Amino acid sequence: MVCCGLTSHLELARRPDLYGSPVVVGRWDDHVIAASAEAVAAGVAPGMPLRQAEHLCPLATFLMPDLEASVRLQELIAAALYDLAPVVEVRVDGVAWLDLEGVTSIPLAIREARRRLRAATACEPRLGLASGPFAARLAAARARPGRLLRIDDARSFLAPLSSRELDFDAEQMERLDLLGLRTLGDVAAIGPRELESQLGREGRRAVMLARGLEPDRLEPWRPPMFTSSHRQFDPPVEDREALLFVARALCGDLAEELGLRGAGAKRLRVRLRLEDADEETRDSLVRHPLSSAAELFGLVGSWIKEWQPAAPIAEMWIELPVLEASGRRQLRLWAGGDGTSEEVVAALERLQERYGEGVVTQVRVG
Amino acid sequence: MQIQAEPRLEHAIEAIRVRFGSQALTRAAELPPPPAWPSGTPLDRLTGIGGLPKGRISLLVGSGTCGKLTLALSLLAGATHEFAHAVVIDAGGGFDAGGLLPFVPARGPLTVVRPPAPDAAGEAASTLARAGAGFILLMGEVPEPWLGPLESGANRSGTVVVGVVDAPSRAFAHASSLSLAFARVDWIWDRGQLIGLRTLARCSKNRVAPPVGESELEVRYFPGPAGIREQAVAVGEQAWSAVV
Repeated sequence: MVCCGLTSHLELARRPDLYGSPVVVGRWDDHVIAASAEAVAAGVAPGMPLRQAEHLCPLATFLMPDLEASVRLQELIAAALYDLAPVVEVRVDGVAWLDLEGVTSIPLAIREARRRLRAATACEPRLGLASGPFAARLAAARARPGRLLRIDDARSFLAPLSSRELDFDAEQMERLDLLGLRTLGDVAAIGPRELESQLGREGRRAVMLARGLEPDRLEPWRPPMFTSSHRQFDPPVEDREALLFVARALCGDLAEELGLRGAGAKRLRVRLRLEDADEETRDSLVRHPLSSAAELFGLVGSWIKEWQPAAPIAEMWIELPVLEASGRRQLRLWAGGDGTSEEVVAALERLQERYGEGVVTQVRVG
Repeated sequence: MQIQAEPRLEHAIEAIRVRFGSQALTRAAELPPPPAWPSGTPLDRLTGIGGLPKGRISLLVGSGTCGKLTLALSLLAGATHEFAHAVVIDAGGGFDAGGLLPFVPARGPLTVVRPPAPDAAGEAASTLARAGAGFILLMGEVPEPWLGPLESGANRSGTVVVGVVDAPSRAFAHASSLSLAFARVDWIWDRGQLIGLRTLARCSKNRVAPPVGESELEVRYFPGPAGIREQAVAVGEQAWSAVV
């Protein structure tokens, strides 16, 4: 089963303060990228020239697109959903899919996905649950905000819907119209080869979609592989307590980011840039990924406590050069039971890694 | 003013419940208590929820010999039967697995972590709590910076965390949800031999239920052919006992 969460376009979600008013996103000499529901009600549609949109809805707030910010929000949402399902895909147009195949508690995952989408975009997502991404998205589009529409029989759900729901370009849509295929039911009724002969490979795909056979696969989001955090000291510091204090804060920032990304650090590096421009480094591989501030600071703090830098420190970097797609966070999705036993064993091994084998002993009792 | 304010408040409460659901706004007194782990010891009656709270820190405190460690060992022995992972974090290095035998622990290995420094004890406790160890016995204090991670880790996984200390620091006491204070009332002598002690167990802090009160317990040591016999009896009832 695939769950689709539908929020507003991420270009619009960047400005939650404008929710409830007409907003149009696009460049002046270009086309509309996104329009709020209020602007759509006034006749604005994504893809139309911005001048036309201005003519249709002169009271709208017109925003320049900020692709970088939207992609950052997209990453944030994907990371937030990452530990809820084995495969997660998020698109800038506000569609988030979760492939719930193998998830032990689907209602719990959906409830949590709704909560996290709401937290990330400040609006109630519409949710659809169906056998594949296409039907799930159309179901979500028909659900009320904050509600889930579950589709058990995708073909009969899709049949009455307009064939314009297929993501065809204008020319292909015109050809569908000429063929008299105005609903997805009409498309489903025609043979895939017949439509392929008219529209090429896209025609075959359209028939499969209309029949609820879902030929498309989700593109799984993967967490990024590197992150770092740093702080400059002006004037340079020598005080170890000050360094520990800053290191703890940096570890907290990194842990928060790792949490959002659903990642763990397999390697940790601390670089101290000294006042005389020299640099000193500590670097370590860890057997089990570190993901919390306590774990990160446990290692960084132990280094700093015994570090004897040659000069006052002008800048401190904490780098996580190797991040792991967080199997540990997703472990509970697949492991027998709840995966706790494996996590406890991993935690004990991490302690042995840090403090030596002798720190953990197994005493036979009974 | 009071008369006008109340209907407005009620209206606001109603609006919140309509918008976000009936559970969105609940009186503190109506909040459900945390799930309890019934330990089968007299302490269960003192907590007010029929057992030790899961996901919270409970403390057994008392100065000198007052029976707190005996109770803690009894809890640990019970936990070895109940949980896949019962772990002792022995910061002081004074844990003796032999002392556990009178309480008939489950057969098999018991994990003991002997951290080299207080910070390591904190790290071990919070890491294991977050990983989901079922029961953690803390033999000693946890440094203040680690109390937050320990609390949140235990809360997330439902770990029962029990600390045994003479006098907890202010931060440790604050972080605990349940504190049971032990005070030795008297030694018990029989024909010139020390055979046990009588102790008063009192719930000195309870954030999981209204305080229940206190109970007098007897912890007895009997020299016998098979070794030491140790027995603790709640006054008025045979609550638990163990014989080697």
